[in-house]
Amino acid sequence: MSVIEYDVIVIGAGVAGLTAGAFLAGQGLKVAVVTAGEPTACLSTGCIDVCSQDENPLRGIAKLPDEHPFHLIPSAAVCQALSDFQQIMTDRALPYAGGPEKNHRVLSAIGTFKTTCLAPVTMQASPQSTDEKIHIITFAGLKDFYPGYIISRLKNASFSVYDAGVSTTMGIATGFEDNAFLEAFILWLEKRDIRENKIAVPAVLGLESAAAIMKKIESRLERPVFEIPTIPPSMPGRRLFNALKDHLRRQEGNIYWGWPVVGVEKTGRLIEAVIAESQGRPNSLNAKAFILATGSFVGGGLHARRDTIIEKIFHLPVFAPGERETWFEQDYFSANHGIGRAGIAVDSSFRPMDCPWDNIFVCGAILAHTEALKNGCGHGFAIATGQAAAKSCLERIR
Amino acid sequence: MIKTDVIIIGGGATGCGIARDLALRGIPHCLIEKGDYAAGATGACHGLLHSGGRYAVSDPVAAKECYDENMILRRIGEKCVEPTGGLFVRLPGDSKMFRERFLRSCEEIGIPTEVISSTRALELVSNLNPDIEEAVKVPDCSIDPFRLCMLNMKTSEMKGGLSFTRHRVTEIIQSHGRCIGVKAIDASTGEVKEIHANIIVNASGAWTNLVARLAGCEVPITLSKGSLVITNHRLTDMVINRLRPSADGDIIVPNEAVCLAGTTSLAVTDPDKISIQPAEVDTIISEAGRMLPHFNQTRIIRAFSGVRPLLKSQKQDSREISRGFQIIDHQNGMYSIVGGKLTTFRLMAEKMVDTIMAAFNLKRACETAERPLDGQEELSGYPLSRRLADMKNIVCECELVTRRDVEQIIGKTGTRNVGDISHRTRLGMGPCQGGFCTFRALGIMHDMEILTADQSVQSLREFLQRRFRGIRCALWGDQLREEQLVEYIYLGILAMEHNK
Repeated sequence: MSVIEYDVIVIGAGVAGLTAGAFLAGQGLKVAVVTAGEPTACLSTGCIDVCSQDENPLRGIAKLPDEHPFHLIPSAAVCQALSDFQQIMTDRALPYAGGPEKNHRVLSAIGTFKTTCLAPVTMQASPQSTDEKIHIITFAGLKDFYPGYIISRLKNASFSVYDAGVSTTMGIATGFEDNAFLEAFILWLEKRDIRENKIAVPAVLGLESAAAIMKKIESRLERPVFEIPTIPPSMPGRRLFNALKDHLRRQEGNIYWGWPVVGVEKTGRLIEAVIAESQGRPNSLNAKAFILATGSFVGGGLHARRDTIIEKIFHLPVFAPGERETWFEQDYFSANHGIGRAGIAVDSSFRPMDCPWDNIFVCGAILAHTEALKNGCGHGFAIATGQAAAKSCLERIR
Repeated sequence: MIKTDVIIIGGGATGCGIARDLALRGIPHCLIEKGDYAAGATGACHGLLHSGGRYAVSDPVAAKECYDENMILRRIGEKCVEPTGGLFVRLPGDSKMFRERFLRSCEEIGIPTEVISSTRALELVSNLNPDIEEAVKVPDCSIDPFRLCMLNMKTSEMKGGLSFTRHRVTEIIQSHGRCIGVKAIDASTGEVKEIHANIIVNASGAWTNLVARLAGCEVPITLSKGSLVITNHRLTDMVINRLRPSADGDIIVPNEAVCLAGTTSLAVTDPDKISIQPAEVDTIISEAGRMLPHFNQTRIIRAFSGVRPLLKSQKQDSREISRGFQIIDHQNGMYSIVGGKLTTFRLMAEKMVDTIMAAFNLKRACETAERPLDGQEELSGYPLSRRLADMKNIVCECELVTRRDVEQIIGKTGTRNVGDISHRTRLGMGPCQGGFCTFRALGIMHDMEILTADQSVQSLREFLQRRFRGIRCALWGDQLREEQLVEYIYLGILAMEHNK
């Protein structure tokens, strides 16, 4: 078995894990992020939701129930983490608009408004009300985008269909990275004599260069262009993930891709190593501290059995909302499904409660009492807890 | 106003069977169904074409009917019956005396049985619990109830029979004490149709009494809820029954790519207000798991309940009530047909139409047992190669349904209901249970101008709410994980509003 020594191993390559890993690597520690596969961030809208409970996300956090892990982080630290994130993304040529004092609205693919704190610059021009006049462009054969849903709520919206010759989200986004493809699209747009003030497209404006592609269309059409996030596969989510991964590598952090953690080695009150498999062969990743950022159920950090909920890597104690009967309300659209509270409860330094080991830190969606959908605590929560857990971890190591 | 000879209320197996029989005997008729075909107990059952073994000890008459009908349906309905064969397995601790009574009753009735060793049984079904004592082989089959209804209706359609689905009967028109017609409301347009006929047949299953009361009549039935679960793959190629007196969770039936297991039996009063408890799901899984141990680890994609309309009896336990059927002449031009089984639907239809023929004083013998079901030649399945050829237009990845399939069904039926598309294409029947494809199907319906933009959003909300009823009580493991993803898509990415 190969043995590799690190200062810190982060398990999970979502927004929380990559934020924590890059932060520690930036402090000069030897860091590796180990992941079983693509994180759920790739499925996301790429928006940085901090808290939707108030127009002002910081005030929203203050309104959250006492047990919410957001209360473990001072406001200033939340702002710092978000501003660091914005700097990282600006450096990666995918700037994010907004700031921690005000939530914005992003138009969804069914015409509702999603509340978010920081939005990719490609969604900055998203309408803030249902009266705005927008023209939606969709692509022939694209099966995950139906402008009809949007028009049901935005009465001043209209749409037209562009035949790009490809019809998948990924295919069209790949096309936009090519200048001739982009030029043909712009020429077609110019001929359409669009009267509306803004142009909307599903989020397919390139794999990586969305901001530049959008600017180019805007300057030629002389009006704002914005992307509407789509159901997975989601380009903005993928761009976010790739940028954070890229940033980690620039900080000289390592990433072990497709290495599921299958075992743990411990001595006394310390975790010594995690065993991760690559192509069926075990590797021992040894470290002084471990950060658990494996996500909730979708991410694979938590697993529900018929009668209990388990944490899959360290078998940490899990806060469960009660018997299975209480996990889900009868009403699908209830905000109060108990399952949203399941997860790992932590102390003020993001160490799991009642944990037999001293060198594990936990961040992101796996934290108990998050209720991500109800509270609108998404990637913003991951960034803030990722940085906070990393800081605690740094303190311990030094 | 529409005029016909016979109105059939209810588009379950019985109603559709009656329509076919009337068509073959040349009687004009009109079938009215408030949902889609097979929407009641017909579609909410195991899809087991009984050999009769299940009732051999407790109800030999019903058992004999089942066996005879089983033989007929295999012959006439090749394309909706899969002759899987069935096993009754005896687990350690199951009564040996019951086994003797079972074999003796089957012999008396004429149901062929073969006692086989556990080793032989494991050769037939490798997932079987290796601890079983022995098994008895019987001629059980798996049947597709929805397809069965559609094929019966095909004959009706070919002979000029009328049918209106998604039409609810709101009034039974009477004149001088006789029922002369009905008023039915179209659920999607609100339009009311008035249909007149000489005879009205109430074949509305669990809703029999609600319909009968429209004509001031009462039918002595008891409602019994049975719940089932669906696995995400096919764990056995044979029907598996438990060799013991009927109890919860003792039947597992393979159907297409999945298995259905159940049932439970609980008395209920309102067929429109039924729900499944997590405890029922647990019972079914642990009982099924005793026969097929894999069941305990298998992903359950949905649970659902059907309501059996049983003949009223003094017996306390609804399992002991006869599965026989009865035709009730209300002496006012209306008949109710109640009880029975999916397996015996054809026989029920035959007896009902015999009664109608006698009332009309007409003589023409029943042909439904001899003639193969019409329309089976069109059911050569959807060859995989044809579906994959249109890969980029697949809207339901679980069941490989293409945009064209969806458009064809909409074009043919004019439906505004996504459930109708599911029934006819299997859209949304796979592991994600419509989580991805319904958003697309409703988008397509709007593109085709079948739904307005507002309606497609509203339908999506209703669909998600309805879908959740079936999956809520079976959420753990990978299914819970998938469900959380679907919730994330609709309430996170698409920002659908929470209910206050």
